Amino acid sequence: MMTAGHDTLFFRIKDPMDVAKARREGMQMSMGLGFNQADATKIAVVISELGRNIVNYAGSGTITVIARSETNGKKYMRIIADDKGPGIPDVERVLAGGYTTSNGLGLGISGSKKLVDEFSIHSEVGKGTTVTAVKWLVK
Amino acid sequence: MDYSAIQKLENLLLVSVPRDLVDDDVIRMRRDILQAVRKYNSQIVLLDFSQVDICDSFFGRFIYSTAQMTKLMGAKIILSGLQDAVIETMVELGMALPDVDAVLDLDSALALSRAQAVQGSLVEGAASGPPEA
Repeated sequence: MMTAGHDTLFFRIKDPMDVAKARREGMQMSMGLGFNQADATKIAVVISELGRNIVNYAGSGTITVIARSETNGKKYMRIIADDKGPGIPDVERVLAGGYTTSNGLGLGISGSKKLVDEFSIHSEVGKGTTVTAVKWLVK
Repeated sequence: MDYSAIQKLENLLLVSVPRDLVDDDVIRMRRDILQAVRKYNSQIVLLDFSQVDICDSFFGRFIYSTAQMTKLMGAKIILSGLQDAVIETMVELGMALPDVDAVLDLDSALALSRAQAVQGSLVEGAASGPPEA
């Protein structure tokens, strides 16, 4: 019988060192759940991009990384990046890519979306942004 | 962070990119690369990525901007040692870096640089040789 359960990592993000720690530990957790090197790398990059957005646009926020096993044996990683920053006025434009006001390649959000199976942004101008990404373990 | 890994190797400038680079390190490293290119008059800067297992868009921008800067000094950036998982992630992220050349490993990089050195000396020889009668 499969047992359900989850492990959670929680990171306060305020500078690039915090982002580096979150992506490194998130990658290790993914491999611990059974993800191969390539997919664990993708999860790490998504954590890095979302963490970087928090530092660049909101100043500070949190990243929660959850490794989840369901009773039917399915497993996934969920990444939740949350901040109380300025919010994104045009979410569609950000998702389309090539949009940046900072120092990346404008690929952060649009690129991250391509690396995972589920990706959603909830943002309110003046209140903050929550991005949730899920990647399923495919055996 | 320790990244004291910029070395001259034949006519290459070999840069061992550390596993985790944060923003300040990246800027410092880029400046050190430019200084070393000038010091050794390097024609090829080899960025060895074999230790790197996470390459996000900030890293991509570092590669791209370093390539643009060294180009203005007459040197070319070549990437080496990218891991399969890193390559897959970079391309899916949309970061294919079309203007930057890459080789599989240091052996290939050395072969390329030696070939270029031979070619360069031939061209130089032709230019400085006596005019044909």
